[in-house]
Amino acid sequence: MEIDAKLGLDVFKLDKEPHIVVKNEICSTVCVNRACLYVCPADLYELDDQHRIVVNWEGCLECGTCLICCDARALEWTYPRGEFGVQYRMS
Amino acid sequence: MEKVDCIVVGGGLAGLSAAYGLASAGLEVMVLERGDYAGAKNVTGGRLYVSPIRELYPELWAEAPFERAVAREWITMMGDGAHTTFEVAADRFAGETPQSYTVLRARLDQWLAEKAGEKGAMVVPKMKVDELLRREGRVIGIRAGDDEIGADVTVIAEGVLGLLASGAGLRAEPAERDHAVGFKEVIELPPATIEDRWHLNPGEGAAHLFMGAVTKGMLGGGFLYTNKESISLGLVVGMAALKQDPDQGKCFSLLDEFKEMPQIRPLVAGGTVAEYSAHAIAEGGIAQVPRLYGDGYVLAGDTAGLSLNALVTVRGMDFAIASGYHAAQAVLAAKKAGDCSAAGLAGYEQSLRQSFVLKDLETARHIPRIIENPRLFTHYPQAVSRLLESVFTIGPQPSRRLVKTLWRGVRKDFLNVATLKDAWQMRKL
Amino acid sequence: MSVDVIVCVKTNPDLQMIRIKDRQPVLEAIPYKVGDLEKNALEAAMQLRDAAGGGTVTALTVAEGDRKVKETIKEALAMGADEAAIVSDPALVGADPAAVAQALAAAVKKIGTYDLLLFGEGSTDNYTGQVGARVAELLGLPQIGYARKISVTTDGVQCERSMDDMIETLAAPLPAVVTVVSEINEPRIPSLMNIMKAGKKPLQEWTPADLGLDAAALAPQRQIVSNLAEEQDRKHILFEGTAAEQADAFVNALLNEGVLGR
Ligand SMILES: Cc1cc2nc3c(=O)[nH]c(=O)nc-3n(C[C@H](O)[C@H](O)[C@H](O)COP(=O)(O)OP(=O)(O)OC[C@H]3O[C@@H](n4cnc5c(N)ncnc54)[C@H](O)[C@@H]3O)c2cc1C
Ligand code: SF4
Ligand code: SF4
Repeated sequence: MEIDAKLGLDVFKLDKEPHIVVKNEICSTVCVNRACLYVCPADLYELDDQHRIVVNWEGCLECGTCLICCDARALEWTYPRGEFGVQYRMS
Repeated sequence: MEKVDCIVVGGGLAGLSAAYGLASAGLEVMVLERGDYAGAKNVTGGRLYVSPIRELYPELWAEAPFERAVAREWITMMGDGAHTTFEVAADRFAGETPQSYTVLRARLDQWLAEKAGEKGAMVVPKMKVDELLRREGRVIGIRAGDDEIGADVTVIAEGVLGLLASGAGLRAEPAERDHAVGFKEVIELPPATIEDRWHLNPGEGAAHLFMGAVTKGMLGGGFLYTNKESISLGLVVGMAALKQDPDQGKCFSLLDEFKEMPQIRPLVAGGTVAEYSAHAIAEGGIAQVPRLYGDGYVLAGDTAGLSLNALVTVRGMDFAIASGYHAAQAVLAAKKAGDCSAAGLAGYEQSLRQSFVLKDLETARHIPRIIENPRLFTHYPQAVSRLLESVFTIGPQPSRRLVKTLWRGVRKDFLNVATLKDAWQMRKL
Repeated sequence: MSVDVIVCVKTNPDLQMIRIKDRQPVLEAIPYKVGDLEKNALEAAMQLRDAAGGGTVTALTVAEGDRKVKETIKEALAMGADEAAIVSDPALVGADPAAVAQALAAAVKKIGTYDLLLFGEGSTDNYTGQVGARVAELLGLPQIGYARKISVTTDGVQCERSMDDMIETLAAPLPAVVTVVSEINEPRIPSLMNIMKAGKKPLQEWTPADLGLDAAALAPQRQIVSNLAEEQDRKHILFEGTAAEQADAFVNALLNEGVLGR
């Protein structure tokens, strides 16, 4: 099953502002492993055509894995405001 | 500043258990939960051990919205080309007072929130706490948006990441060595199919764990819990191992590969995936438990690192509920004595030390470092399966005597320098 | 000047939370909330009150069954409404727009003083869009639908609405009924302090009998016979041959269906 189809089963309430911001100055200078690209269980990180890291925060499961695995501290990561973000109906 | 007796940050099991205890004793309690409802942000594997906590709130459990009482334990060790499954059933697992139940958090947490509400707690969903307010080192309340609310004691039960607590310097930031990521699918299946596949009487449940090839040698394993009308199927992978090894591919695809394995495919066949979720898990054991209380605050549940991964048993929810209970008792004592400083709240740690929470974590002190050993996830599941495979294999050559077959397998896979070293390590289990 | 506004709100299931299972919506344990358009109406009411420098915003709801209305109406109070009133009765389960309008009109009469009655243009779940107009008719009040701007002066209410190719401005004397569209504003999110205060604001609870209505007469006149998610039949066509032949056949089939080449 495609990861997008899986995320499509979940409820996401979208805020206007992202709750994760990537400081690309750090990614491009300090980071060695770019862990965010493979540790995210929702596969939300990718490189854009200028090789900058982008995060598709809209589908975030709020697990915190990217935050914990980014040693270079390139992420400004908070939980979404109340009323927003993923809302699990089972889990 | 508006003030209440007690603010609880986080309407998970730890926070709600604390709120229930506090409100039952008549304190003015406010629970702030960022999800649309309690449980909306929460993920678990699926099994709550009730026996350790039954006596804490004896009136509660009879009506709890549990899924199934776990009557059967299954463990599958997966090697390449062979796997071995154990099925364990014991009368004491289920029976009249079952020791554990499968659960889904959206249901369980909402129910506990209702119970706390009935006792008089004010549970406010859709409300994220942005900051712990501190004055001269003492936690004096919280800020949410532009509003500041004071409290004599703040129960910090914000879950595993502990962003507010670490932001205020009350505990360390979460480190990858001490954490795993768990991700799972809830897959709907008809009850009768579930009961057939795991040999269950109607209404009974199973817990099924998987070790070995599922995590490609990384610390972790697979889990499957049977709910009423669905199963929770997922993986847990240590973050340090996951990060170390970019060649293992993307984390999320491990679950798809897991579902495609020939041992798993028939178990999930015909099911409809209904939800996908992920959450971090604290696995550092007692070594990462921070100071549990201070002036004006206590830490409870995952925020306090109270969880345990012992491979075949994963526990956190029972610790969360128990720590919430003991937090409530400590706060009540502190309020009564009129001293909500660290000294007044010290009873919290004492009672946790006397309870199963810190005792079990202490007993398991060495587990987190022992299970960092990748052979547990590669060599052993493979070796067990290979050994049993050899016992059951009839080839073209004349067969050896059973004892010889076993001995050869054991000598080859279990008696060498590496495994003897492991055995020496594992004596600490 | 001060304006008194009654905002009629419906408690809707949180539609985003509904799952479809076997073509049926799963309504068990679904959370309820103030409807989205009603939030716009509440926001508009509070802005009018605040612009006028005084007045009362009352949130009024008719409870159609067991929808945890008391909790939902607190959301309206937490947003900033001053008072709330609930009309509830088991007979109102599945009530149709006519019955809801009757109950609302009776409650509005009971409240007595008001300058403006605000509604969403429709409810997020059933969207009949009838209730505002029906209440206006029952009370004999002027009605303006689909407002995207409202202002109130001593002379009356002025509203602007978009009619696709033109913008219409309408005026009516007070009291009047206005229904609003979502463009009118961005509803505020309740703050913690306001949530705490909400519990202490006045909340009236009435049964139809309290309003002089016969509950039995409000029982629904129509029934929902079935409510199924749309299902599309698949054609189940298998193309055979080489890859090139299959591709040709596939494109031709799409052309024949009118999917391509329109
Ligand atoms: C995949 C997986 C499998 C597991 N399997 C098991 C198992 O089988 N058995 C078991 O016993 N344990 C298991 N655990 C562990 C168990 O789920 C946790 O230990 C338990 O949920 C901890 O409860 P808690 O109340 O401390 O934290 P949580 O349940 O995480 O609750 C924290 C609450 O705080 C809220 N919150 C956080 N920050 C804020 C804020 N700033 N403002 C307002 N609210 C906030 C959150 O929304 C959440 O509701 C598993 C965990 C995972 C992830
Ligand atoms: S791991 Fe952190 S520093 Fe590295 S690329 Fe990702 S976000 Fe940037
Ligand atoms: S929090 Fe989890 S789901 Fe969200 S972006 Fe980070 S790793 Fe992905």
